[in-house]
Amino acid sequence: MGERDPVDVGMEILRYYEEGPWPSHVKELKKTRYPMEAYAMGMAQRKTAWAAGSAKIRYVYTGFISRRTRDGKITELHFRVWQPSGQIYTTDFLRKILDFADKYGLGLIEIAGQQGQMIISVRNEVADEAVDALRAIGTDIGATGDTIRELATCVGPALCEFALYDTLAARDYYLTHPKIYEWMSNQLFPFKFKMKFSGCPFDCTRASHRSDFGLVGIWEGAPEVDHEALNEKIGKGEVDPRELAGSCPSGAITWDEKERRLNIDGAKCKKSMECIRKAFPAIKPGRNRKIAVLVGGKVKGRFGPMMAKPLAIVNTYEEAADFVVKTVEAWMEGNTPHKDRIADFIFRTGFTKYLEMLNVRPQGKPANHPRLVAGAVLDDEERRLYGDWARKIVEQYGL
Amino acid sequence: MSSERLKKRLPVPYTDFLPELLKRNYGRWVDRRFHGYGIIEHVSETGERVFTVKVGTPPNFRFSTDTLRRFADIAERHGIGALRMTRSGNIEFLAGSLEAAQRIREEVEGMGFPVGGWGPTIWSINSCTAFLTCTTAVVDSPSITKVLYDHLKPYFTGEKTLPAKLRINVSGCPSGCGGYVADIVLVGHYGDAPTYDPDRIKLCLPRSSKALEAGHVPEVAMVCPTGAIKVYGKEDGSVGMDIIRSKCIACGRCRDVCDWIDFDPDKAGVALLVGGKSSNTGRGPLMARQVIPWIPAVPPEYREIVAVVKKIIDVWRETARPGERLGEWLERIGIEEFYKMLDIPITKWNKPVKITGEFGIRQFL
Repeated sequence: MGERDPVDVGMEILRYYEEGPWPSHVKELKKTRYPMEAYAMGMAQRKTAWAAGSAKIRYVYTGFISRRTRDGKITELHFRVWQPSGQIYTTDFLRKILDFADKYGLGLIEIAGQQGQMIISVRNEVADEAVDALRAIGTDIGATGDTIRELATCVGPALCEFALYDTLAARDYYLTHPKIYEWMSNQLFPFKFKMKFSGCPFDCTRASHRSDFGLVGIWEGAPEVDHEALNEKIGKGEVDPRELAGSCPSGAITWDEKERRLNIDGAKCKKSMECIRKAFPAIKPGRNRKIAVLVGGKVKGRFGPMMAKPLAIVNTYEEAADFVVKTVEAWMEGNTPHKDRIADFIFRTGFTKYLEMLNVRPQGKPANHPRLVAGAVLDDEERRLYGDWARKIVEQYGL
Repeated sequence: MSSERLKKRLPVPYTDFLPELLKRNYGRWVDRRFHGYGIIEHVSETGERVFTVKVGTPPNFRFSTDTLRRFADIAERHGIGALRMTRSGNIEFLAGSLEAAQRIREEVEGMGFPVGGWGPTIWSINSCTAFLTCTTAVVDSPSITKVLYDHLKPYFTGEKTLPAKLRINVSGCPSGCGGYVADIVLVGHYGDAPTYDPDRIKLCLPRSSKALEAGHVPEVAMVCPTGAIKVYGKEDGSVGMDIIRSKCIACGRCRDVCDWIDFDPDKAGVALLVGGKSSNTGRGPLMARQVIPWIPAVPPEYREIVAVVKKIIDVWRETARPGERLGEWLERIGIEEFYKMLDIPITKWNKPVKITGEFGIRQFL
């Protein structure tokens, strides 16, 4: 009896994930031509089977990634495909994408990669014509490596009541901005560059920490209160005005029982949306709308994950373009080491100096935070300590 | 010809892609109503309405074209012939009436896909690709995500509710493609300083020590944020490499640029971070903090990970105020109290971290 083939061992492990109440990725993968052996090998050896591969597509330098297994037996290629702003698909357009994925790929799609792009597996031998086919449908590949990555937007005015600026138009504007358009076809940056467009302070695109430039819709002063509509909601028992005032995180709301009026102090308001989401549309964002520009949010890059810093408040999304271009040019030039994100560049430069460089007057209170860490270099004793602690909870839950 | 091919064919303008109903009502949405935890009604000032049905998806949001075709059929049969892929990998069907939305719900549930994920529920568990395609993964986040979802599904559908919205991110390595800022964040890592493949590491190093003498620093050493990777010329003129354990923070940047950095899978595990959020609601955006530096990651069941995540959710459920996100609850009770409640052992890798200041747009206000 020799040792069992790791692929067999892995396949057995993977069968476990075909069961259970939640939709199974393994079941989906088995309906495609995805190389299950590679996944099985990884599970059996508890190490990914994949290493960097190579692929060449004529005059296309961004948007595809090639992998091969460490034993060299299996190769894999996938396209990162630009989604239309808002990520809404008519079934007609979706079916074109599906036909594309069947004809040129493995019949496998990751509907939203971590940047928000659609990821479609493609067969290496048809990669070149696949690019043309995709372009004929009306989209393209892009956003891998040291270049412009996905510019992501929330659903915005297409289907949201809270959108304070046109996030879809903003994304289109930046995607086609001559500078960004020029940069996106080449690998000229120290590392990746991302932008995110959130229509309101709910920040559905996570602009506050996952983009080099994040544009978040805000308003000045207090939310707008329609007192008649609000009293109607109060009358129907849908809204409790005292609770509304109590749940305001900045204490900006007072309820005048005698006048039956809700007063909101605009100077105190922190745009938490708490009153708005509880009493919408009787309480709405204020009419004087602006866009908050945040800079330097990221996960990867030299100094680790960072929350974004406050750059400026602008009136239109176009106004931020100058900041973007100047920042990217400064980051590209000079001595920025490879794999330094814009936040790392700003960290090295100093935030105040960076603002001076852009000719921006410092605003607000830029927050510093402790280093965001995940991971630890532990010795056997420490691993046992945490392992035992976790196993106690396993017992508690009878798992 | 070549210059033509360099040009990208971007999917712009967005108006070319929107369904007619949304184009007509663009920017005119004035009200919304929730119908349970998986259907939202949007009301336009024109009087038209759209009902979105939010559907949970397999880990890493991977679909066969076969399943997506069946979704397209459903969207045409009952909906307005359009779908939205959300930033968190869920699928939203768009329907013209509540009845149509309910029919979509029945059909997708019949296919085994749950509907839910709005309000005080799990909105999504975000998983990177890990062993499916990634070169740097240390643990397999999609299978971890699958078992978590299997155990936590009632919190997605709303059969059981939570104090507030909950997002979980799962990343296979410290590159953190799943994201570092969520209520609960799991990140795979080596659990020790990495090792390397002694034969193939030379693929990441210069061939001759002369290159080092000329001032060249190979990328694998250059990217290390703590200077823990030392490269040196050997007597035979080749290049050697040492990883200095006392300096290493297991961040994985070296493996990000060199496939032949290696690790011991028996030492690998996941770190757990809590309390992050993006939204400006409540206390505003918050960073997540590492509270448990290492949990064993043992497939297929990942019992230890499931147990710890369940425990954190249960403690939060029992003691949080309605509407209080995990991070806000943590801020109120204090991080030390959280450690006490869970009896978490403390080493230098999970000293309780206090947050001061405010993040996101709050920095302006």
